[in-house]
Amino acid sequence: MTNENFTPEQSLQLIRSMISKTKQNMSDNSIYFLVWGWLTFIACTAQFVLKNIFQYEKHYLVWTVIIIGVAFSIYQGRKEGTSVKAKTYVDENMKHLWAGMAISFFVLGMILTRLGWGTVIFPFFIMLYGLGTFVSGNFIQFRPLIIGGIIAWALAIGSTFVNYDYQMLFGAGAILISYIIPAHMLRYRNKIAND
Amino acid sequence: MIIMNEQEKILTEKESLDLITQMINKAKDACHDTGIAAIMWGAVIAICSLVRLSELHFGYRLPFDIYLLTIVAVIPQIYFTIKEKKQRKVKTYDDGFMDSLWMGFGICIFLMIYTTSAMYSQWDPAADEYRKLTGNAYPFRLYEFTSPLFLMLYGLPTFVTGVSMKFKPMLWGGLLCWVSCLVTIYTPIKIDLILVALSSIFAWLVPGIIMEKDYRKAKSELAQANV
Repeated sequence: MTNENFTPEQSLQLIRSMISKTKQNMSDNSIYFLVWGWLTFIACTAQFVLKNIFQYEKHYLVWTVIIIGVAFSIYQGRKEGTSVKAKTYVDENMKHLWAGMAISFFVLGMILTRLGWGTVIFPFFIMLYGLGTFVSGNFIQFRPLIIGGIIAWALAIGSTFVNYDYQMLFGAGAILISYIIPAHMLRYRNKIAND
Repeated sequence: MIIMNEQEKILTEKESLDLITQMINKAKDACHDTGIAAIMWGAVIAICSLVRLSELHFGYRLPFDIYLLTIVAVIPQIYFTIKEKKQRKVKTYDDGFMDSLWMGFGICIFLMIYTTSAMYSQWDPAADEYRKLTGNAYPFRLYEFTSPLFLMLYGLPTFVTGVSMKFKPMLWGGLLCWVSCLVTIYTPIKIDLILVALSSIFAWLVPGIIMEKDYRKAKSELAQANV
């Protein structure tokens, strides 16, 4: 930005354009919540079904579906990167938050590789899901995400009282409440606003 | 970006310019105001880890759990937060982001303490049983795996703050937490404690000192400019 002097009208225009851009961009991020939400939800429930109903030994293989999420995020990120859409603080901070979340999930995965994937793992994942949605919800001022994050934390505590098999269902529940439902609500709300 | 108070009122020309000037002055105060809280938490975690290390190394035990210091530190933290909110005239989007990020982190720390404690209670009877049956110590010691879990969590808000505020000491501090986390997965408890102390010093204490120094410098320059 150059050091030009703004007239009062220009400064007002700048503020208004920043506010409207922010409001518009709130809904754009919901696609990530939806894709990751549904993939994780499917993986949690499928793992539960494979392990407990079909007694399939390699039930954990369902988690390879996250490759789809990674591929989608890279594709979508590149697509957005090449578009001419103006970047706001919201875009930037959300990008940084979820980059940090992705690294945390990776690091947690490394810890659990050593600790053992068949042990108490879901409370930690559910806790991180809650953190990401709680911060995002507060930041974009969208109450369902905030409430979803808080419920996810409550489910993280609840999951410590049940065994590994049922922790999967707590994970699925947390994903449904903190990612999927708020993301659909966000899209619906913005669709109405745009119409 | 500004969060409009209560209702989106129409600003007069003067008000809009005042608002922009306030925001610029606010930005001059740099990374989330003062570095006091970062200094305090960096020092508290480093002290707790090093005291626990000395307990393990020299074979003594303090009459109280040194980690209780982290609960005591919550009191000044509440004071800093209230004081900062009173002083804050304009709330920027960055402020809102940082507030919710660190609040979420605080909640997660409590959840982590609860979850690891719950895991301990599940593991201890199994370890006792193993010892009785085999006569050997249980090969798996859960407490050696709690440091990586906490370091993973320390890294997240520190890294995000560093990147968002373009404040490199915190960015590197956050990365150090994650690298230390990966190392501590494979190291014994004494090394873990050293790495936790180092991580808290470089992720919070040192960046906190830099932030506080910058904040005081900016404040005095602003005071001089207004004279």
